[in-house]
Amino acid sequence: MNRTRNSAIRGLSLYVLLSAGLITAHYYSPVVRQIFQFAAVIGVPVHFLASLPSTVLERMQGKLEPTDQLRRNYAALREHNLILQARLHRFEFLESENIRLRRLLSAVPATAEKVTLAALVAVNPDPRGQAVLINKGSADGVFQGQPVVDAGGIVGQVTRPGMFRSTVSLVTRENQGIPVQVARSSLRAVIYGGGRNRPLRVLYLDRNSDIRTGDLLVTSGLAGRYPAGYPVALVTAVERNLSESFMSVAAEPTSHLGSEREVLLLWLSALDQPVASDLLDSEGELVD
Amino acid sequence: MQRRTWVPVATGIVALVFFALPAEEPLRGFLPDWVSLVLIYWTFALPARMMVGMAWSVGLVVDIVSFGLPGAYALSKAVLVYLARVLALRVRAYPLWQQTIVVLGLLGIEALILSLIDFIVSGDLTGLQRWTAVVVGALAWPVVYWILRRARHLARLGH
Repeated sequence: MNRTRNSAIRGLSLYVLLSAGLITAHYYSPVVRQIFQFAAVIGVPVHFLASLPSTVLERMQGKLEPTDQLRRNYAALREHNLILQARLHRFEFLESENIRLRRLLSAVPATAEKVTLAALVAVNPDPRGQAVLINKGSADGVFQGQPVVDAGGIVGQVTRPGMFRSTVSLVTRENQGIPVQVARSSLRAVIYGGGRNRPLRVLYLDRNSDIRTGDLLVTSGLAGRYPAGYPVALVTAVERNLSESFMSVAAEPTSHLGSEREVLLLWLSALDQPVASDLLDSEGELVD
Repeated sequence: MQRRTWVPVATGIVALVFFALPAEEPLRGFLPDWVSLVLIYWTFALPARMMVGMAWSVGLVVDIVSFGLPGAYALSKAVLVYLARVLALRVRAYPLWQQTIVVLGLLGIEALILSLIDFIVSGDLTGLQRWTAVVVGALAWPVVYWILRRARHLARLGH
């Protein structure tokens, strides 16, 4: 009995060492991470089975919805689309004007964005973390740190790109920071996630900074990871404590944080080459 | 006896699918780890045939399916099955409520290991959610026990 237990302990310690080695290898070696990205393919059937009940339920809801309600929805969506299109025309005009003005100022060119729609896979990838799973992976060009947005604003960033699925860390994830700017006063700050069911926090703001309840915080684009100008959060509470040099600011995310079915993946690329050559031409003309 | 070994495998796959089931935010923290419960059951029932290495591989599959840190669940499941094997012969004689307490302890140790790995890797201790899941898991044990015993009798896998 004693001998068998000793050998069992030896067996266990082998597996403990194996796990520790795997964790360290995954932490330090990109090759190991690559291998596990490929291995994530075996999760696809499991996630398919797990999401089956909710997808079937959703399909049935679509079938059971009365026709007149569908017609009403359709009319409302059409109207909404028209309004958005009208606004978009103005936006395009403003964008071209903006690019022209930036050229005149010979400022840093704005970033161009490519957008792809990704659907949320209706599963919780990690019951421990603040993350959702999307149906696009490195096969579609998804990369680590890619910004993810929805109709409300920033959802988060891709933290683990797999082959066909990727995990997106939400902005509410603990200790994840985003450089932001108060839309009203263009005061710059960094906003941090507070964890599950807790508000976002803006840290290290001086006690007499210009920030109020109801202020919209948008990305400042400073760290280069998120594009500038996307809404992140609404300030819900501002507390100035005289005994502390910083104030405590709580905010609520503006995006739907993965409770909607679809999100957008953003690709950023600086408009460097063409704009730079344009710039030279115009400068040349000016000199002449 | 040899030909019915697909039954434990099938229950394991069902547990894995249950593990990956979608859950809305307030519910998410309360869902127990079904894979651990199924592993504990089969270890108690067939301690000689449940190997630590098998548990380790199951844990690795859970790691991959959950997009977690590879090795974390593998380690915790290996320790879980090792402890369950040590206790198995004793626990089999216990009434169900005492078994539930043992299961609570085992799940607690697993949660402790996972929290510790999280702490070492990311430096933050996760909240109370994992501990509520441990308690819910222990409460679910009688149901899991009853269902899997039926499955074991159907498969004629016995002591």
